[in-house]
Amino acid sequence: MVGNRLFVRRRDGRIEVRLNEVGRAVAKEAFGRVVAAERDPTHEWHAGLNAPIDPSEDDDNPLSSLGRQQEIATNAELAYMTLNEQFLNEGEAWAWLSTLQIALRSTAVAHGLLSEEKLASAPGDLLDFVHTIQQFLFSLAECL
Amino acid sequence: MRVGTSFQLATLTASSFPSSTDYGFGLSRTTATCDTGKVTSVKPVRERTTEGDVLTEQDVRTERPWNVVVWDDPVTPMSVVVVIFKRIFGYSNNKCTELMLKVHHEGRAIVWSGNRTRAESYCVKLQVAGLQSTIEKDD
Repeated sequence: MVGNRLFVRRRDGRIEVRLNEVGRAVAKEAFGRVVAAERDPTHEWHAGLNAPIDPSEDDDNPLSSLGRQQEIATNAELAYMTLNEQFLNEGEAWAWLSTLQIALRSTAVAHGLLSEEKLASAPGDLLDFVHTIQQFLFSLAECL
Repeated sequence: MRVGTSFQLATLTASSFPSSTDYGFGLSRTTATCDTGKVTSVKPVRERTTEGDVLTEQDVRTERPWNVVVWDDPVTPMSVVVVIFKRIFGYSNNKCTELMLKVHHEGRAIVWSGNRTRAESYCVKLQVAGLQSTIEKDD
């Protein structure tokens, strides 16, 4: 029952990536934008990636911010580096999942898609991007 | 002379002992008779603890725990939320699903409670995994 799954866990524990060229191009765009957003404070996703941990305080805990930025950047860079791999190990697959999820939520935050109504009325190409990332995530979550 | 000495000792001992509230026992004065006359001595007697000695809930200061809260958003697939909870907290599949449904239906759910440092750490891990999470002090 493998069917049209985009990611498949094999018997040896590795996760096979069955994305075609178009799928990998979408993943590349998503991973690349997360890496760029972490490095560029003016990037439209940057603010979304750095939401405060404790909203009751004006400034976030610098150590928490630093830890989060390093981990996000590390995951995104690892995902970007393994973009053309046919098989992923557990850690790489987790990096893919987290980075895709960050890309999805950052897209939603940047375009104000924070309710079902707003999401339904989003422009076609934006909605396509959101649905494609969601498909990747559905399939990858089944393997983890 | 013996009487005087005994009395002096008794007086000294009585004044040297701390009050009953300090140590939880009191002093009772007992009177004994010997061949030289009456001797007053002091010996400690354990008294029953009264309710007033026990600290009430209001007297004990305890630090309120910090909650890690995950917020709903319309784009994140439910199965992804379950996978992230399982990976970060190690909860069972049922508990992860239950928490995910709570986030979905109520808009938010407390996924962990405890000291601030660990709460911050979990919150960072959830944010790194792409979920919207914050910490708050328990009411």
